[in-house]
Amino acid sequence: MHELYLVESVLNIVQDYAVKQEFKKVNSIVLSFGRLSCIDPKSLQFAFEVQAKETPAENAALQFKILPAVIHCFSCGRDLELDIYEGTCPRCKGEEVMLVGGTEELQIIEMDVD
Amino acid sequence: MKVTVVKNVLAANDRIAAENRALFDKNGVYVINLMSSPGAGKTTLVEKTILALQNRYRIAVIEGDIQDTYDADRIAALNIPVVQINTGGACHIDGNMIRESLPAFDLALIDLLICENVGNLVCPAEFKIGENAKVMILSAPEGADKPAKYPLIFQESSVMVINKIDLFPYVDFDLAKAKRDALSINKELQIFEVSCKTGAGLDDWIKWLTDRIDDFKKPRV
Repeated sequence: MHELYLVESVLNIVQDYAVKQEFKKVNSIVLSFGRLSCIDPKSLQFAFEVQAKETPAENAALQFKILPAVIHCFSCGRDLELDIYEGTCPRCKGEEVMLVGGTEELQIIEMDVD
Repeated sequence: MKVTVVKNVLAANDRIAAENRALFDKNGVYVINLMSSPGAGKTTLVEKTILALQNRYRIAVIEGDIQDTYDADRIAALNIPVVQINTGGACHIDGNMIRESLPAFDLALIDLLICENVGNLVCPAEFKIGENAKVMILSAPEGADKPAKYPLIFQESSVMVINKIDLFPYVDFDLAKAKRDALSINKELQIFEVSCKTGAGLDDWIKWLTDRIDDFKKPRV
């Protein structure tokens, strides 16, 4: 349910830019976050549709750039992208791994506006 | 027209947290943000920490709960200044909630402020409050899969307290896996194995905290 708060912050930032750059309508917003950051795109989309009403971002399309979960495995020496993080290397089953990507926080990358 | 933004969505919260931090620094207040699932033992760890340190430091507590004052009542019984934040449904405490609760304290008379977050392994990890250290508790009955399932909170924390070790004989808790997975996410993580019930292992946690507070309070040259 943190998506509600995240969307509120997104809309505050959009509003700031709308005033500063004098645009009236947002067509699309590109957001990025790590796959393991516990952010659910569907909840984000739903929260956005509800909260963007009567703001410049109403009906804007959200695009998500989901950054992959990546581990470095010290046993086989590889960097690997994962869907699910289980604390082991999916290739060699090594247990000496380090998470190097996937927990990036939510960012607004760019907007298309009129 | 394309507008490049590249901005952290929680930048506004980060700014408030930084302002809180400046206020805490000015008054010499060491702040911990205590996080865990519901029922992992946050309030009990707060009580044990107060009992161990209340003759050494002036301690205050902020209790974050969705509703009610059960936890704050437990702390107030120890004669410690406590403010209850009822988040009214919010699943975490944020920088602004802490800021709004601070006028209830005289910060100049506090050495250690413990902020007990809402029980949740997801959202609290995202919201800075101006703390010196995030401390999280994983209790044995929750299972050893939590670091892999909720990596962010383990990455953000300085300390993982593994609580309820007295229950090891009754629950299937893979201690080696919990520690290995947590360290694979955050190799700097300090791990303490404790039982708040029996008191086992608490001395190491208290020593870690004492060292941090003393270092923080040391006059800077």
